[in-house]
Order: sequence, then C-alpha cells, then structure tokens
Amino acid sequence: MSLGTYFDQLEHDVLAAMRKPSKLYWAALAVSAAAFALGLGCWGWQIYEGLGMAGIRSPVGWGVYITDFVFWVGIAHSGTLISAVLFLFRAKFRCSFNRSAEAMTVIAVMTAGLFPLIHLGRCWFFYWLMPYPNQRHLWVNFRSPLIWDVFAVSTYFTISAVFFFVGLIPDLAIARRRFTGWRHWVFRILSLGWQGTAEQWKHYAWLYMFLAAFATPLVISVHSVVSWDFAMSVIPGWHTTIFAPYFVAGAIFSGTAMVITLVVPMRRILGLDTYITVDHFEAIAKILLFTSLIVSYSYIVEFVLAWYSGNPFEIAHFSFRAVGDYRYLYWLMLFCNGLLPLTLFVKRLRRNLKYLFVLSLFVNVGMWLERFVIIVTSLARDFDPYNWGNYAPRFGEIGITIGSFGMFFMLFLIFTKMLPVLAIAEVKEHSS
Amino acid sequence: MIREYKFDDKAAFLHQLEELVRSGVHPRRLTVTTPFHVHEVEHILHLRPSWLKLFTLIGAAAGLTAGFAFTVGTALDWPLRTGGKPIVALPTYIIVAFELTILFGGVISFLGFLFLSRFPDIPAIVSGTECGPEFIIREDTGEAV
Repeated sequence: MSLGTYFDQLEHDVLAAMRKPSKLYWAALAVSAAAFALGLGCWGWQIYEGLGMAGIRSPVGWGVYITDFVFWVGIAHSGTLISAVLFLFRAKFRCSFNRSAEAMTVIAVMTAGLFPLIHLGRCWFFYWLMPYPNQRHLWVNFRSPLIWDVFAVSTYFTISAVFFFVGLIPDLAIARRRFTGWRHWVFRILSLGWQGTAEQWKHYAWLYMFLAAFATPLVISVHSVVSWDFAMSVIPGWHTTIFAPYFVAGAIFSGTAMVITLVVPMRRILGLDTYITVDHFEAIAKILLFTSLIVSYSYIVEFVLAWYSGNPFEIAHFSFRAVGDYRYLYWLMLFCNGLLPLTLFVKRLRRNLKYLFVLSLFVNVGMWLERFVIIVTSLARDFDPYNWGNYAPRFGEIGITIGSFGMFFMLFLIFTKMLPVLAIAEVKEHSS
Repeated sequence: MIREYKFDDKAAFLHQLEELVRSGVHPRRLTVTTPFHVHEVEHILHLRPSWLKLFTLIGAAAGLTAGFAFTVGTALDWPLRTGGKPIVALPTYIIVAFELTILFGGVISFLGFLFLSRFPDIPAIVSGTECGPEFIIREDTGEAV
C-alpha cells in the first residue's frame, strides 16, 4: 500500500468513528446519562435538605466526596503522562492513546472540580475559595494546602485543555476537509485556518514541546498538592513525607487503568483495531505493572515508617487499617492494587485484552478504595478515643458518586462522536 | 506563476525540495505544506528557529514574579499571623508561584503561537482553503501568467 493510500485509509477509518452512532453507543450513552441524572438529582436533594443528608459528620468530616475528588484528579493524571511524558521520551505507542487520554484528563478534571463544590454543601459560596479580597480586604490564606489546590487544579485544567486543543488542530483541519454541512463549518472555525505550512508546523512543534515540558512537572505538582491536603495535617496516617510520590504513582496507576477501561471497548466499537494494536496495549500494561509495584512498595513503606517511628498513634492507626472496622476494604484494596496486577508479569496476560479490561476495572475499584481507606480510617481513629467514630456513606453520597461516573462516561462518549479519537497527523508521522 | 509539485511520498518530496533549493530557487519563493511535521524541511529551507521560546520565557517569568508578588504583597498588605507561621512564609508561597509559572508560561506560549502563526487565519476560514494529505511544494517562479 502506498503512503498516500494509507493516509487516505487512516483518515477514513478514524473519521468513520464519528459517523452515525450504533445502537450499542446509544445504549451506553443512555445508561451514562441516567447515572448522571441520578447524581444531579442527589445533589439537588442535598442542596435542598442540607449537608446533613450525607453521612459525613464529626469525626469523619471528609468522606466519599473527598474520596471522589482525589480519585478523579488521579484519573486525570494518566492523560498527561501518556501525552506529555511519553512525548518527551519519544515513545511511539503514545499516538494510539494520547487523544483519548487527553480527553479523559479534561473530563476527569471537570468531574473532580465538582466535588469540592458538592462537599461545601452551600455550593453557591464556592467563590470564597478564589483568591480575591473580601469586604474587609482580607485575602485567602495562601499557606493553606486547600488554596494550593485551587491554584493547582485550575492550572491543571487550563493547561490540559490547551494541550488537548493544540493537539487537535491539524486533525480538525483533516475533519474540515472530510465533513460536509454544519460539521464542516464547526471544524473550519475550530481549525483556525490551519494549512500545514512549514512555518505553522515549526511554531506548532515548539509549542507542543513547551506544553509537554510544562505539563510534566505540573502533573507531579498537582497530585503532590492534593496529597498535602492530608500530609500537612498532624493526623496519624496522613502526616507522612511519603505522601507526595505515593499519590503521584497512585494517580498514574489509576489513570492508566482508566485508559484501558475506556480504550478497549472504544477500539472494538469504533473499529480501530488496525491503529490501536495489541502491542500498544502491552506497552501500556507494562506502565500499569510498573506503577502497581511503586504503589505496593508505598503500602509497605507506610507500615514500616509507622512501626519504625515508635509513635504509638501511628502504630495504632496502621493496626486499625489492617485489622479494624474497615479491614475488608483495606484487604480488597491490596488485592486489587498490589496482588492482581502482578499477573501482568505473564506476557500472555499482558496481551489478552479481555483480561486487561477486567483487570483495569479491579484497579479502578482498588484505587477508589485506597483513597477511601486513607481518608476515612485516619479520621475515624485520631488521637483521642473519645473522638473516635465510624462512617458509612448514605444513599445521596452513593448517588452522587455514581453520577460522577455517569458524567465522565457520558462526556467521553460524546467526545468519541464529536472529535477525532486518534491523533491522525501523529500516526501519519510515525507510519511514514 | 505558481508551479506546484505534489507527492504521496515523503522521501520524493524532500528530494525535490532539496533539488529546488540546490538549483538556486530562494526558499522565500517556496511554500511547503505537509500532512505532518517534517523536521528536514526546516533545515532545507533554512528556516530560523521559532520565536515562540521568547513568549514562553516571558510568560513563565511573569508567572513566577506574579506568584511571589501576589502572595507576599497580600500578606504584607494586612499582616495577620495564623497558625504560628511567619507573615511572609516563602516556602508555602513557592507552590502558588510554581503553578502560576506554568499557567502563564503555557497560556502565553499558546497566545504566542497564535500570533506567530497568524491564527485565526480569517481569510482561510472564510474562503474554505483546504490542506490535503499530500506533500506539496509551490514555487513562485516570478513569471507573469
């Protein structure tokens, strides 16, 4: 096949994915939209009733909402890893995943951004988080990790969105040529008049490299800042220096699992088997295995630090994690995040897409549980036994959590029909 | 008069481009469009490095300065001691300054890209000029049609 024919076929195949949706697609969209509607309904109910309808109360003031926030920020991270870090390392397999991963990042940050508002209860006061002087000319407390979060997450969203859009520009120009009607006009405007001249490509290449170079430390800083929401306090189980790298590795681990969860069915439904190959999945499975090992190592270090510190509160806390009231969640988390991914040492399993898909679901569950265990067990058993108390999420919180998954999958499904799901120009570059 | 060369093959395209430049055609009289970034084109046409890095540097420096100026300035504007920490707690402000460095650096780089590439190219959007999947060289021969 000549290069010209291949390019033509590639454009046709990738853009064919944006044509008329199948019944399966509509069914998936309907289920996601229904879950999202459930979440909105529960949030509306919470706004009407007040935060008391949720299970969070003293001593466990951070529950499922903060778990969801950390989970979704973590999911966002792998998008940047696959796009930016693998770009800087010139890993060719990234071009099969980077567009989906970047879209996943933007959507996951949007989802994550809702949870601080939901957790506020009176969400209409969200602007109190913003750095502006109040009526007494007092500013927000810049020494607080919660304010660092505002800066980190909003910067992350902005840079991820810019990175996503910049990567799309040459492909939007291709879509402009291939589509007719209203879509042609939308792509004509969005592609900014891209012609692919040498000058345009020159500036484009520099911009892409700079954005990748900015996004790489950003991805590390954002989840470090999220971890410091916990580590800056003195609560046993939270106050530890390992938190930043531990959270960053966990975020990349969970995000990689979510990429597999999304791309395995997407590849099948949209018929992209030729361009997203088993070799590509094997490469990403290796990242999953590698980050799983880092996360497992962190679990061990946490316990060793508590033991070696000789601090009775730390020792008591970690004993509670392992054998206390939340032990089933803890051991399930270890099974999903530490034990099960070890099977990826077997090459045959790394190349089995059905297995990878099921494994990625377990890892998603395990990583959600990890955040739940870290947040809830520490608050449930702090220094003073008179201040101990357990927490269980209520219906509204579960509904909002399901709604966040609904929102995430719904927006991702819409993305697959509105924009090219593969970086066409980049695939062309590698195949030439 | 514009003479147009179209190629499906990257190697043949680069060969032709090199031939044209070697034969004495000034790079300014050549317009090249490619379906993806071809590094060799910049060398053959002797294109100057992009000025984009200047935008990036200015953006990042502005973000860093703004981050520290903002946090230190507001702390000094109304000194309020909380949590036993110093009024100007520089280590904690590094986070804000770092994030703003990346935010300003990234956004100003993007704006610089739009400026240097003359985007959005309104005439191209209105006229609906397309770019195909081929490698194209357009040579302005300077002759009247």
